[in-house]
Amino acid sequence: MASNAAVPFWRAAGMTYITYSNICANLVRNCLKEPYKTEALTREKVHFSIATWKEGKPEKPVIRSDTPEE
Amino acid sequence: MAMAALRREGRRFAPLLSPRPIAAVRSSLVSEEDIPFGARSISTQVVRNRMKSVKNIQKITKAMKMVAASKLRAIQIRAENSRGLWQPFTALLGDTPSVDVKKNVIVTVSSDKGLCGGINSTSVKISKALYKLNSGPDKETKYVVLGEKAKAQLVRDSKKNIELTISELQKNPLNYTQVSVLADDILKNVEFDALRIIFNKFHSVVSFLPTMSTVLSPEIVEREAEAGGKLGELDSYEIEGGETKAEILQNLAEFQFSCVLFNAVLENACSEQGARMSAMDSSSRNAGDMLDRLTLTYNRTRQASITTELIEIISGASALEG
Repeated sequence: MASNAAVPFWRAAGMTYITYSNICANLVRNCLKEPYKTEALTREKVHFSIATWKEGKPEKPVIRSDTPEE
Repeated sequence: MAMAALRREGRRFAPLLSPRPIAAVRSSLVSEEDIPFGARSISTQVVRNRMKSVKNIQKITKAMKMVAASKLRAIQIRAENSRGLWQPFTALLGDTPSVDVKKNVIVTVSSDKGLCGGINSTSVKISKALYKLNSGPDKETKYVVLGEKAKAQLVRDSKKNIELTISELQKNPLNYTQVSVLADDILKNVEFDALRIIFNKFHSVVSFLPTMSTVLSPEIVEREAEAGGKLGELDSYEIEGGETKAEILQNLAEFQFSCVLFNAVLENACSEQGARMSAMDSSSRNAGDMLDRLTLTYNRTRQASITTELIEIISGASALEG
């Protein structure tokens, strides 16, 4: 029942359910033993670029990535 | 020997004799009637060059087809597995494509790269139709565009309505973490009553169905549930723990969006590879046809010049004898 008490806290911290569940999933992945751990972690790479538009003009795209730019 | 020498002579004199040597060469590709007076043999260089380039293009398209085919196999399994993610949601919340709300957000899923047939134009077309369908007084419809190709098409006439564009999604193999971070970003950046995700659902290598999935915001789900219908059954579920129904619904809506988006992105990537495969298949077939035609022209021209030379030699010899 600990998770029930935690619900308002992550919501209050400005997280959505998706972020919350991702953090939980990442914790579970980190519980794996090697070599499965690195395998599971390399599978979950995030990379995309997102741009918001104002008045029909794109603003500078932000790159969301957890791999450093080469 | 004599024939080879003659041919060489002929080639050397051809530009001198013919008034429009280049035009004559060009016409050898189109018709053989326009050969200028006095030209004995036509250079087949242009046809040979064209044949070489067509052959190279065919090699490239064949290679692209192979690449697409192997990528398709990998992604098809993932796409089919990901269908299990949204099906429970549809069973629970139902799919309500006709829901009438104020703030619509159309999420158009497309590819970053081209050369994959008409899948991107299809999703753009459906999105525009949906925009027309949902526009009206005191209504607001916005686009969220995934992929470069749909962006390029939507910028032309509806750039005022674009809210977000996302690209470079397929740099790494698609995975749920990535799509969920993306879904999170979309949720935080747009206000919506209903999200409508447009993508090409993969049916087989040659058929893709443009599909719309609707994700409602928690308030709308509640409104619809009160109105009855499929969503009315929501109340018959027992909720464990101390959460209120509104909290549960908000969590569900967020999770539903990321799952549906994940499936949409995978299905679309799968359709993209399938479409690319069939497009490349037909283009290498066309290159083959073109090559056949060019070879025929080339051989016919060559044969004609040899025949002419033979006739000249024989008639010259017989003139000397006689």
